[in-house]
Amino acid sequence: MRKHMRMLMRRPVSQTLTLIERSFCSSTTTSFGIKNVTKSNFDAALLDLRQHIRAADFVAIDLEMTGITSAPWREAFELDRFDIRYLKLKDSANKFAVVQLGVCPFRWDPNVSAFLAHPHNFYVFPRQELSISGTSCEFMCQTASLEFLAKYQFDFNACINEGISYMSRGQEEEARRLFTSLYDDVFLDSHPSSKDIKDKPISRVADVLFTERMKSKISDWKNGLLQVRNRDHECQGSRKESFQQFENIFYLMRPAVKLHGFTSRQLRLIQLVTKNHFDDLAYIRVSGEGTSLQQLLVYTDSTTDKDLLMKEVKGILLKETELKIKNAVGLRHVIDLLSSEKKLVVGHNCFLDIAHLYSKFIAPLPATGEDYISSIAKHFPYIIDTKLLLNNNNVFQVIKQKRSTSLAKAFAFLCPDIVSGVKTSGSAYKPCIKVEVQVDDTRSSNWNSGAKHEAGYDAFMTGCVFAQACSHLGIKFESQVPSPSLALEEKLQGCINTLYLSWINGEIIDLTTGKRIVESSGSSDRKYHHSKIFFSNIVLLWGFPSKLKAAEIKECICKVFGQSSVASIYHLDETAVFVKFSKAELVTDFLHLKATLEKNNDPISVLHPLSKILDGGCTCAANYEVYKEICESPISEMLFADQAATIGIKWKTKLFVPKQKESHRETLGPEDGQFTGSTSPSEKEIKKLVSVLDGLSSGRTSNRLADSLHLAQAQIGR
Amino acid sequence: MSSRRPPWLLQRRFITTNTHTKPTSNPTHNPKWCVKQVSKSNFSETLENIKDQILKSDYIAVSLKKTGSHSAPWHRTLPIDTAQTAYLKAKYAAERFQLFQFAVCPFSIRDSKLIAYPYNFHLFPRDGLKLGMPCYSFMCQSSYLTSMANEGFDFNACINDGISYLSRAQELIARNRRGNPVISNLEQSSSPHSVADSLFLGRIQSRVKSWLKACKESKTGSEDALIRSLRKLMVGSEEYGSRPCLRIDVCSERHVQLALEVLKEFADDVVPMVIRAKGGGIQAVQVVLTSSKEDKDIFEKEQQCKEEDQNKLVRGFREVIDLISASQKPLVAQNSLNDFTIIHSKFLGPLPPSMDEFRTSLHLAVPHVLDISHLMDEISPLKKLNSVSAATSYMKRRFFAPIDAEIPQKVEADESKSHGYDVLRISQLFAKICSVLKISSETDKHSSSALKGYANIFNPYSASSDNHMEEDVRLSTDHPQKISTENIVFVWGFTLGTSAKMLRNQLLTSSEVLSDEFDVRILDKSCAVIAFSKPDSSTKFLEAMESGGNNCDSLSNLISEGLRAADYETYKRVCSLGLWEVKLADSLDKALETDFDGHTEDSQKESTEVYWRNSDLINLDEL
Repeated sequence: MRKHMRMLMRRPVSQTLTLIERSFCSSTTTSFGIKNVTKSNFDAALLDLRQHIRAADFVAIDLEMTGITSAPWREAFELDRFDIRYLKLKDSANKFAVVQLGVCPFRWDPNVSAFLAHPHNFYVFPRQELSISGTSCEFMCQTASLEFLAKYQFDFNACINEGISYMSRGQEEEARRLFTSLYDDVFLDSHPSSKDIKDKPISRVADVLFTERMKSKISDWKNGLLQVRNRDHECQGSRKESFQQFENIFYLMRPAVKLHGFTSRQLRLIQLVTKNHFDDLAYIRVSGEGTSLQQLLVYTDSTTDKDLLMKEVKGILLKETELKIKNAVGLRHVIDLLSSEKKLVVGHNCFLDIAHLYSKFIAPLPATGEDYISSIAKHFPYIIDTKLLLNNNNVFQVIKQKRSTSLAKAFAFLCPDIVSGVKTSGSAYKPCIKVEVQVDDTRSSNWNSGAKHEAGYDAFMTGCVFAQACSHLGIKFESQVPSPSLALEEKLQGCINTLYLSWINGEIIDLTTGKRIVESSGSSDRKYHHSKIFFSNIVLLWGFPSKLKAAEIKECICKVFGQSSVASIYHLDETAVFVKFSKAELVTDFLHLKATLEKNNDPISVLHPLSKILDGGCTCAANYEVYKEICESPISEMLFADQAATIGIKWKTKLFVPKQKESHRETLGPEDGQFTGSTSPSEKEIKKLVSVLDGLSSGRTSNRLADSLHLAQAQIGR
Repeated sequence: MSSRRPPWLLQRRFITTNTHTKPTSNPTHNPKWCVKQVSKSNFSETLENIKDQILKSDYIAVSLKKTGSHSAPWHRTLPIDTAQTAYLKAKYAAERFQLFQFAVCPFSIRDSKLIAYPYNFHLFPRDGLKLGMPCYSFMCQSSYLTSMANEGFDFNACINDGISYLSRAQELIARNRRGNPVISNLEQSSSPHSVADSLFLGRIQSRVKSWLKACKESKTGSEDALIRSLRKLMVGSEEYGSRPCLRIDVCSERHVQLALEVLKEFADDVVPMVIRAKGGGIQAVQVVLTSSKEDKDIFEKEQQCKEEDQNKLVRGFREVIDLISASQKPLVAQNSLNDFTIIHSKFLGPLPPSMDEFRTSLHLAVPHVLDISHLMDEISPLKKLNSVSAATSYMKRRFFAPIDAEIPQKVEADESKSHGYDVLRISQLFAKICSVLKISSETDKHSSSALKGYANIFNPYSASSDNHMEEDVRLSTDHPQKISTENIVFVWGFTLGTSAKMLRNQLLTSSEVLSDEFDVRILDKSCAVIAFSKPDSSTKFLEAMESGGNNCDSLSNLISEGLRAADYETYKRVCSLGLWEVKLADSLDKALETDFDGHTEDSQKESTEVYWRNSDLINLDEL
């Protein structure tokens, strides 16, 4: 209902009217909401989704998260080396929670020559249904991201109240181990606490009295059972009175009592009494209402019957556990399904999304980026990023000239029919690929909920954009045999399994080979993108006087090392900068000079041009490697200088021995002939990037914040 | 965690999912008890009301709803914690988690009658000024969010309509970063002028003079629009509101001072204002020309109002904290250490590194903090009652102390589904405690001195305020037995699932160093503490561990299986270095890896004591 209202509100009035008219005169209506899946309808939805995914040609996905970066200095910068980029990605995926998962399977329906889409919008909340480790489940929220989601009417109440929980594979294994040990405990009495009691004779007077009383009560009950059946009702009356805590029931066709209202110590004593004095009674624990275990005393005819009972109980318990674990696995079933069906997964700028899926549902992210990249393919063999697809094909040059490749804009441009809900003849390209939408049993050929930044709808848009893009590339769906063939389509081979590492500098990675390339420009030669970054030329400087601007820092250093010594200065945040020197030797010189100045605190060092930077005595400097060390830490302080202090950096200058191998050097230029179908990003994007970087280097901090917000929004929303 | 919620919450949950039924059978929902819910939309009107009520009332109760508390069992305050380690734990939580609800209740007690004005403020750290403040990101624990959701808390409303705030420290930063001109109130020093200074002075002086002249001329003669704009261009005149103004760009603080010095000369008609640069520091001095003395006064007043309005917007909910602080009324809270570390970090400023500094810093803002749990200690010294509901039911069982609650303010019907009852429960419990302890409720000097003995105790396990300087800790909550921290040793690396008794037996048979006089407690799954009753035993034991078993086979066997040990100083270092791993064992390992330098001096403290209890395990749930 909420979605329906939203749809009406978001549309211009005139359009809404035509929609209503249309829905009156045609059998198909556009006014049904997206399939929202929460805890309550998850099982049923999963059952349907299984069919849809199996039949699908490709599955579009999208995620909404509680944040992107845990601290301003952890945002993506141009000067990030691949390992740093991965550490930042890992930090983000580890800290933030997924609150919505959009899954939209697309299947080509030859009968109507259209794609059939099943958009699903899963509300997610990491609830930890089975508490295993005893640690609480916690996640981070970025204030700006929550506000962003709120702006697009994200329903936090539905998410927290009704969101589907999940368990990763590792957690599932742990839960299984825990349950097995619990059963061993039930059947073998190996629990340390029960051992304690057994070991020592019952010594407390209260215990002795209680044990005796229980012994007599239990034997009373047993004797009552053995008496003639037709006298039963008389006895029952009196029994009820005396055994308020004993409830007569039948368990697995055997007479039994349910034990109510005993403390755990008393229960242990009862267990002991039963074991020692009543061979024909079995003390068992079965799951009762809620999460508690219910304690039962069951009467058995013989030892064989008792063994049989125990076997049955164990079977029931195992079945129950299996169910519990299955329920706790929750949302992971969807991801497992994608993975096991080896479907082509389509996302828009989805590097972070994939990392979230990996860390939440598969395993903790590996320590190095290389390991991560090589293990993605095991779980998601075919991934396509629509943003990359659009940017790297000359066919879409027109789009790039006109619009940016943000999801909403690409969707609006490529699929005008779907956007307006009306058939238009004058599209910029060939006629649109038709996409019909089915939610439950309702099917429509012109559905559009318009709820941007809702994972389900975003996934739908992504899928539409992909279908459209394929058609422009000349892929004929009519001739496709189902399933993996689309992924093997020759025309897509340039893009499959390549993702943007960062679209700040257009670095992309090929998941199959692990090679990283910068998007090369076909026509226009942009110095900006061709410049190689030598990380050994970079000094990380932090803790300098807060008023110092980038230009002033540059001036100070240039005074000492010459006008051309500093190539550029980048602000990480207000407390830290990267100083990019023109030569690697200057890095060592600078660090040595700094150390010397700090050591001899004489008038000469006070008057030294660098003293302006060293003022305050907290200025620290190190080479690029230390940046990695700092990014590796799980802590995220707001300011970089605080972060460095928190992770325990006590030195002021880290002098390093230059290594022999050139491993610090990373080329960010295009590597010859390795990537053919690539073209330059749009003019607009470059302009934007340049302005971002201008903002960075001129040290306008408030602009930086605006930029970061913009960036965050762009990344969430695309 | 979440499975252990009280049954009435489950009931409410059912109600809230079914929106058509009204909550009727909520036992805590007394129709008289209405807590005024305050969000962004009704904040300013509420502020007026609460201001009076704070001034009139005797006490103010506060209660907070956070997004989480501790991430691992050992992160909560344990009986073995000293005041300092307990503070560091509270600090860690306060800095990470966020406040969503802040309930305030000014109340008075008159003849066993409680007159209370409860308010529940909904907060969200919205970055209204786009400065990355009050907080860039925060942590949430799903169990906390879930239990809030079960109480029917509306997260959508919280994020959309929650009141934002800035701490006092953040306000200072924000003021410097906003680019608005502010009337200068800089101190003017009269240091001798250098040549460069004199040149600058002269330039400014002539510029201001010519500008003034131009302004006066243009006022008299009616000029052509074109000429007027040309003139404006030449003298660099602009307009501020309806008044003409001149902008003088400056490069340093010194320039600002010089410019202000020049402007003193024209003080009769011009008002100097400073424009701060976004990154801090002053960017320019703006000179506004006023037409007369009266006009000048009006202008200055206008500016003040404008600034005040701006500041109100910036401070947001902190206005309430400032009101409370200004009233100097005693505050009543439950679990004051956790609550007031949060209050300090969100509304005053960053938390200092030590408990004593925190105490001093907080004292400046809030002089009297009364902790319900310490007052309960007075009534039931043996049993630790850590929740408001446990304490309330205890009081109900043991004492006859009827308290009538009166809530004079009216709350609209649709607000009946409200939150923040805890603050009322706290006020009521406090009233009961006062009547049982025979503390007169009138605010005369006598009674406040009677309560003073209970004020400002933050360590949850210390009994009175005067021993806060000592670092005495206990091993457990009941039957306390003081033990010096010197006699405590942490051991870890034993087989998972080992009970305290098993561990004790293992240790007992393994070394001659260990006579029978020691006790073992399991702290978390990974780590245990040993308390020795003889002063030297701990050192002897640590030495034996250090030497790899001291020629004792079974101890060296244990060591080779992974057993490790550390003294209390290591634990202190864990807390001060912020090594908050999930398992205490990992933290201790890390602390041992880090260098020892710098901690030798601060550890030469007085002898410290802890409490010990005769039971196997510290029951973490009762803490």
